[in-house]
Amino acid sequence: MGANAAIELKNITKTFGSVVANKDVCLTVNRGEILSILGENGSGKTTLMNMISGIYYPDSGHIFIDGKEVVIRSPRDAFDYKIGMIHQHFKLVDVFSAAENIVLGLDEKDKFNIKRSAAKIKEISEQYGFEIDPMKKIYEMSVSEKQTVEIIKVLYRGADILILDEPTAVLTPQETQKLFAILRRMRDDGKAIIIITHKLHEVLSLSDRVAVLRKGEYIDTVNTAETNEAELTEMMVGKKISLNIERGEPKDPTDRLVVKNINCVSREGVKLLDDVSFTARSGEILGIAGIAGSGQRELLEAIAGLQHLENGEILYNNPKTGTHDNLRDKTPMQIRDLGVRLSFVPEDRLGMGLVGNMDIVDNMMLRSYRKGHSMFLERKSPKSLAEKIIEQLEVVTPSASTPVRRLSGGNVQKVLVGREIAASPTVLMAAYPVRGLDINSSYTIYNLLNEQKEKGVAVIFVGEDLDVLIELCDRIMVIGSGRITGIVDGRSTTKEEIGLLMTKTQREENGGAL
Amino acid sequence: MKNLKKIFALVLAMSMIFVLAACGGNGDDKDAEKMKVGFIFLHDENSTYDLNFINAAKAACEKMDVEYIPVVNIPESNECKEKALDLADRGCSLVFADSFGHEQHMAEAAKERPDVQFCHATGTTAHTSELKNLHNAFASIYEGRYLAGVAAGMKLNEMIEAGKFTAEEAKIGYVGAFTYAEVVSGYTSFFLGARSVCPTATMEVQFTGSWYDETAEKEAATTLISRGCKLISQHADSMGAPTACEDAGIPNVSYNGSTVKACPNTYIISSRINWQPYFEYIIGCVKDGKEIDKDWCGTIATESVLLTDLNDKAAAAGTAEKIEAVKADLQAGKIHVFDTSTFTVDVAKNPNAKVDDDGHLTSYMADVDTDKNYTPDTEVVKDGYFHESEYRSAPYFDIKIDGITLLNEKF
Amino acid sequence: MENHEKHIREPFFHIAKRDTVVWWLAWLIRIASVAAALIVCAIVTVLLTGENPIQVYITMIDGAIGTERRIWGLLQNTAMLLCVSLAVTPAFKMKFWNIGAEGQVLVGGLATAACMILFGDKLPLIVLMPLIIAASIVAGAVWALIPAIFKAKWNTNETLFTLMMNYIAIQLVSFFTYQWSVPKGSGQIGVINQDTRAGWLPEIGDNDYLINILIVAALTFAMYVYLKYSKHGYEISVVGESENTARYIGINVKKVIIRTMLLSGAICGIAGLLLVSGTDHTITRDTAAGRGFTAIMVSWLAKFNPLVMIFTALLIVFLEKGAIEISTIFGLNAAFSEIITGIIIFFIIGSEFFINYTIKFRKSKGGAAQ
Repeated sequence: MGANAAIELKNITKTFGSVVANKDVCLTVNRGEILSILGENGSGKTTLMNMISGIYYPDSGHIFIDGKEVVIRSPRDAFDYKIGMIHQHFKLVDVFSAAENIVLGLDEKDKFNIKRSAAKIKEISEQYGFEIDPMKKIYEMSVSEKQTVEIIKVLYRGADILILDEPTAVLTPQETQKLFAILRRMRDDGKAIIIITHKLHEVLSLSDRVAVLRKGEYIDTVNTAETNEAELTEMMVGKKISLNIERGEPKDPTDRLVVKNINCVSREGVKLLDDVSFTARSGEILGIAGIAGSGQRELLEAIAGLQHLENGEILYNNPKTGTHDNLRDKTPMQIRDLGVRLSFVPEDRLGMGLVGNMDIVDNMMLRSYRKGHSMFLERKSPKSLAEKIIEQLEVVTPSASTPVRRLSGGNVQKVLVGREIAASPTVLMAAYPVRGLDINSSYTIYNLLNEQKEKGVAVIFVGEDLDVLIELCDRIMVIGSGRITGIVDGRSTTKEEIGLLMTKTQREENGGAL
Repeated sequence: MKNLKKIFALVLAMSMIFVLAACGGNGDDKDAEKMKVGFIFLHDENSTYDLNFINAAKAACEKMDVEYIPVVNIPESNECKEKALDLADRGCSLVFADSFGHEQHMAEAAKERPDVQFCHATGTTAHTSELKNLHNAFASIYEGRYLAGVAAGMKLNEMIEAGKFTAEEAKIGYVGAFTYAEVVSGYTSFFLGARSVCPTATMEVQFTGSWYDETAEKEAATTLISRGCKLISQHADSMGAPTACEDAGIPNVSYNGSTVKACPNTYIISSRINWQPYFEYIIGCVKDGKEIDKDWCGTIATESVLLTDLNDKAAAAGTAEKIEAVKADLQAGKIHVFDTSTFTVDVAKNPNAKVDDDGHLTSYMADVDTDKNYTPDTEVVKDGYFHESEYRSAPYFDIKIDGITLLNEKF
Repeated sequence: MENHEKHIREPFFHIAKRDTVVWWLAWLIRIASVAAALIVCAIVTVLLTGENPIQVYITMIDGAIGTERRIWGLLQNTAMLLCVSLAVTPAFKMKFWNIGAEGQVLVGGLATAACMILFGDKLPLIVLMPLIIAASIVAGAVWALIPAIFKAKWNTNETLFTLMMNYIAIQLVSFFTYQWSVPKGSGQIGVINQDTRAGWLPEIGDNDYLINILIVAALTFAMYVYLKYSKHGYEISVVGESENTARYIGINVKKVIIRTMLLSGAICGIAGLLLVSGTDHTITRDTAAGRGFTAIMVSWLAKFNPLVMIFTALLIVFLEKGAIEISTIFGLNAAFSEIITGIIIFFIIGSEFFINYTIKFRKSKGGAAQ
């Protein structure tokens, strides 16, 4: 192994305060292979990769490249060792073209020559099968195009050890397949590739070997060919768990929320929602699938009273009064005053659903602080609610007066979902509620949503993992470029069908252009 | 609970500071031997106005062997009273403040500490105040300005003879701060001095509305130059006007001290008040237990009014001799700066003035004893001249005479 | 050989985030940083002036609290700075960068002065005093309201806007200073109603400043309660932390911005009232004396906690007073004492870094880490 090892880590340890992010991690990546690093969120995968790419410095341990011990103090050092990292969040300048972004920050001896750079980009693209227009501006690009730019950026700099952090999180199944083909080609070219992921089926289909991390500790490396999903899960979680979501049949579904022909336009005049109509029924989970940024956020915010609509109606059938109220262009306060019990778990938990610097008690108050006529706050009932949620949902926190930003992602989400459910809603909207959560927490959330469904709540669930959507939802609505491209039955659909619907409008548009 | 601890720590830290301070206080021994004199300055050494006072105070204290305690950057507010009383607490038996706006705050302090003498430059109220320990002082700077004006007139004559412009074009520009008596007296005496040697001279005055505003003063000087002024002088404290003159190559007569270093080609001469004689006088009075004059006015004779650093490079030939001669005449009483026969007055512009048929001043009631409504209370024209700085030290000549055009009177 | 290379290339130290810090350690770090500041200042003092640093510090303390008068002066100045700090705090907590406190204080003071000059001998005290109080509060509030409305309606940049409002306020004061100057043309107003004392805040006992100090003390407590226990205070926190969250829970962000700025400006107006009617009894361009800007530092240092602000305001005024004394006693240029003040404040602000982060040094060669 030794001669072929591109990079070898020995006993790497990194702590943040009292949190041990990595403990005695040992890893080897060979040239001409794809290594998956598998682990739940918070298991230290990204921290480990950041140490290889020079963003963090390890507290202790050794890094060897081609058998020689090295010290990587900065991203520049990492470049010198031909290590390139493609981050989960792209670091591109929007108003620059692809070529400009790729050469940005490069200290080339000669004068900057965009034509020569473009030629070199073409060369790289052809070698590995990228499709890219070097002159296209970043803001005109789709997510997958942006990712391509990031990858070419590191290749342009001559990287032969590539690290990709959750590259498929933002891609459609089809785009994922394309990316994997490229990565395989690179492997065959002799490059060492590390891919961080927590999606098991991707690990199995792509990588040669899998290294598993759990809570910062290195568990083992196995050959992909010799393992299976169950074994990897067990390594990852530490115990055997069943990966089945129980899906009950909807109980006497009635139309709760009827959305009719709504349109939404951004400040720049771009259509964000295009003639959207659908119905959410009580006692069922309506899933919403789509590429990130296809209008999911605007749709939920429009229902919650946070988004101005051009036209259309959002009708709420009040089960108590039997009235049909139009929620369109009402403020959240007005919606509440109508007696609509609408709960909303937004995608941006700490930037919208919760206030990071406030403690759990004060976050509980967000929805209810206005109660009563006193000028002053009443903290007693939020406090007991906080304690109840901490106990029932097993939130791991030192106390109810801990700022929520100090909690881990899963616990933050439990606090948020717990609060929204505590309002005993009739409509519950949740956007990406399991993003960044470990498997156990994710299942807690799925169970909570199912409980609500059984209680007769109309649940709207925006998700990204198609496997989960198919297992959890009664119906799945697919949204593409702000348009509903189809509503399918969760029990009979396939991933491929949804994947095609996700890109339907795009293909139509492209077809029209040709 | 956490907050309680925080507060406790706070109290602890604060009490520590106080304990420390108490120790510090004890270490402050009273030096009974040497008399202490406190000085309050509006700005610090960077202002030419304050520098003039600071230098004089240092020299006087050294000469009189007393302890010099300055405080600088004291605004014209309650802070002045606080500082004056603090200086008194410190053992100063004499406290001096240098800015006009300090006066009322000094009066407040004087009320509280009748055992300490409070002296103040440029003020107007001490001679009518009931406070025995409040004193004003000024100097007959109009005489110095008159002499500086003579130097300016000679320069104009020289330039006319050299054919640079005609006698009728001999216009002087003057940058003033406010339309206040001190400024009016200053530019009028300067103008009369100039006209005594260059009879065709006229003058334009531009006000800036600030005692210290370098940009505004520079701008004012530039405006005057572009309006055809052949020579500039100023009564404001920054280097604005002198540098504008140096840039444009226009001769400049300065104030408060020489500006020859910055303006080697255009600086002619500067008049200034020398405060050292006054400081020596008041220190001497307190030392000997004598009363200080309520309202003291320095003169050329007391060396309170000085002309400094004649620049031969820019001045006309024979200026030094001429100034000496005029100075001797002034001291001998042969000539007077505000000789009513040398200027005419338009009664329409000056309601308190009475004139004869030729427009020469015969009577003027000035507001010498400051009161709220500025009632003119004293006849100041006698024996054919206006008695400036005689009824009180601070100037009260505020007549608009013919030959001087005020470009803006809004200040 | 490899080991040697590693040793050279490994950084000498790197920075790591601390976990939560126990309160006594945080205070230990703060005290240590003040001690370090004093040592650095001592070195600077010796190098620049050759004076004995211990003597300099004793002088500093003496200058701030050496006599009863100085203690009262210190408390009065602290109260005034604290008052302006209280005013900027709700706005800053809301992340509305109100750097216009200077102007808001000035117009508050100007309104006070105007009432004293125009009505001082016309109205009885029982009418005049409420008029003065109302006028100053309204003036300050209006001065803050203008940028707030523009921010709420058109999302203008409040930093620039409030800054510009300062200049307008200063020029307004200049204009009226000339209008009302005594004597005419002198460019200064002088003590207003020196004989009648009409419109002056009353003295409590024989003390000029006690009333100011008591008013500010009451304001401090009220502001603490307002921010921590009132619904308004809660809304301010939410808007400040995340405008999205505020929208999400249905807070009318514009209303909160305008309401909070009204409060901020009103307290600035009170500060102007206390300065003009309570102590100075005159108004000049310098009446606010830069407090509008220093207050921002006071507020930040205290992390927007009004009770802690008592301490930070006291500290800053203490340093200022001490610094003036140094320049007086040692005959040093006033700039020197500001250098000392600057160094001390730098260390105090820097100490927050060491409370949040720790520095890890390179381990020695022999594997001493084990």
